[in-house]
Amino acid sequence: MSAPSLAATVSRRPWLKKLFTPLANWYVNAAGYRQLGLRADDLLPEENDVVQLALKRLPPKEAYDRVFRMRRAFQCSMSHTLLPKEEWTKDEEDTPYLSQIIQQIEAEMKEREDLEAMVVTRRKAAQ
Amino acid sequence: MLSRSSACRGAQRAVCQAVRPVQRRGLAAPASGSFHYQSGESKGIKYASRDFAGPTTTLALVSKAGSRYQPLPGLSEALANYAFRSTARRSTLRIIRESELLGAELKAFHTRENLILEAKFLRDDLPYFVELLGEVASSTKFEHHVYLEEVLPLIHFAHQRFLANPTDMAINSAHALAFHKGLGNPTASSSSIPYTKYLNPPVIEGFSKTAFAKSNFAVVANGADHGELSKWVSEFFNDVPAGGVEQLPGSEQTKYHGGEERIAHASGNAMVLAFPGSSSFTGKFYKPEIAVLASLLGGRSSIKWSSGFTILGQSKASPSTSVNTTSAIYSDAGLLYTTITGSAENVAATAKAAVEAIKKIAAGEISKEQFTKAKAAAKFKELEYGQNIEAGLELTGAGLVHGSKPYQIDEVAKAIDGVTEEKLKSAAKSLLESKASVSAVGDLWVLPYAEDLGLKA
Repeated sequence: MSAPSLAATVSRRPWLKKLFTPLANWYVNAAGYRQLGLRADDLLPEENDVVQLALKRLPPKEAYDRVFRMRRAFQCSMSHTLLPKEEWTKDEEDTPYLSQIIQQIEAEMKEREDLEAMVVTRRKAAQ
Repeated sequence: MLSRSSACRGAQRAVCQAVRPVQRRGLAAPASGSFHYQSGESKGIKYASRDFAGPTTTLALVSKAGSRYQPLPGLSEALANYAFRSTARRSTLRIIRESELLGAELKAFHTRENLILEAKFLRDDLPYFVELLGEVASSTKFEHHVYLEEVLPLIHFAHQRFLANPTDMAINSAHALAFHKGLGNPTASSSSIPYTKYLNPPVIEGFSKTAFAKSNFAVVANGADHGELSKWVSEFFNDVPAGGVEQLPGSEQTKYHGGEERIAHASGNAMVLAFPGSSSFTGKFYKPEIAVLASLLGGRSSIKWSSGFTILGQSKASPSTSVNTTSAIYSDAGLLYTTITGSAENVAATAKAAVEAIKKIAAGEISKEQFTKAKAAAKFKELEYGQNIEAGLELTGAGLVHGSKPYQIDEVAKAIDGVTEEKLKSAAKSLLESKASVSAVGDLWVLPYAEDLGLKA
């Protein structure tokens, strides 16, 4: 379940990208998840089969780190504090580690549906 | 009075009759044309084919990457299970669906010496499947989640099946005793610790680079036109790794050791008595008398409602005891082994009878009739085996990879014809003189030791 996004369309056009970058930075900062040490992909809703399968496919280290970030964020949230500034998620750390796998799984499912809906035509006799 | 035309017809008939004997052949002589494989090489890739008349084709990629050549335990098995999965160009699902639409059968398995990818399909689809095999060999994606979700469970199943089968355990243990490493490597993972310890996708991918290197495999087709095959092979096998740098372990000449192993097992009894045997016809140590000896000892009847002419078939302890003598041939060595399964007492008694039978053959106490029957049975088995498409493909491919010589079944049959009673006697004698490999699996209280049987172990 990757979230619908116009990011690809925007970043393909340099002038549009230039226009949107400050706005995007402001939004990411205002969303507040980085101050709790989370990454954008940690926020994806995981209550469905696709994301569950994607979580299973995470390498062990990534899966461990994800759980660690979430527990740290819960702790901060309950005590109504933010992390010290040096522990905030940095821009280069905020990578799409899970959406890549989700897109891969969605592609697999789409392929299956396409093949299921395929119309088979008989091959012409050998020439 | 004869009319002119009828005289003419008579003359034609006479001409026909004069010509016919040249074409006629004895019933026992094989139709050599159809058995022969044509072989060739293009851009360093060896291939062979025989144009067997019929609407279907069997195509196989035979790679010298069986359990003998694996650098770490379980690699051949894992690589076989990775075959026909996602490649750089197609997903697993697409390969399956496309093959289904063409009505084909895909198979990947490994033996002690070879890893075989096989496809059976309708004759017209040859280019598609040559391309598919080329793709599997050169651009399979060794994805981590495929390993965890699909490959590893299959290895677990094979492992459990192996542990539940005393006969398989005994045969594997006899091979390990006879050849130690190399040919002695078990074909299935025999203990649960090693395979999870040594296997992971990058290691399997590394092994695939040597397994599917140009010099290490051959493409063999049955029922395909030779010209067609050579054209498609040279087109679709360009991306396979060049290889040739790394020497696979297990390539050195196999040495026979021998010994005894006893394994306790609750679900059955199996005993294997193994002796040094004959290499494949394409190898250096080919001894046709071993095949005759195997069919003389035998044990399994080929005729309905009869215990058969074989010595062990007649002397086994009870009808429910299953006995079989096999001459397992490998590229540079072989193993002649008798497998006995059944209840423990009967297995013990039959094992004694087997050793006595070998002693009897060594002393020359067998009738001319038995010898003739054994020779005929051995020859039939060889020729039938050659007709069996899958076995023929593997042997031919292996012959090409190991010795650049396809397995020609006619010559094997000829070699068996040349076996004399004297040769058979000396072969049996040499079995008793060499150290046997004896493996007993099951109720160890009842199953005898090699020494009790009168064997050197």
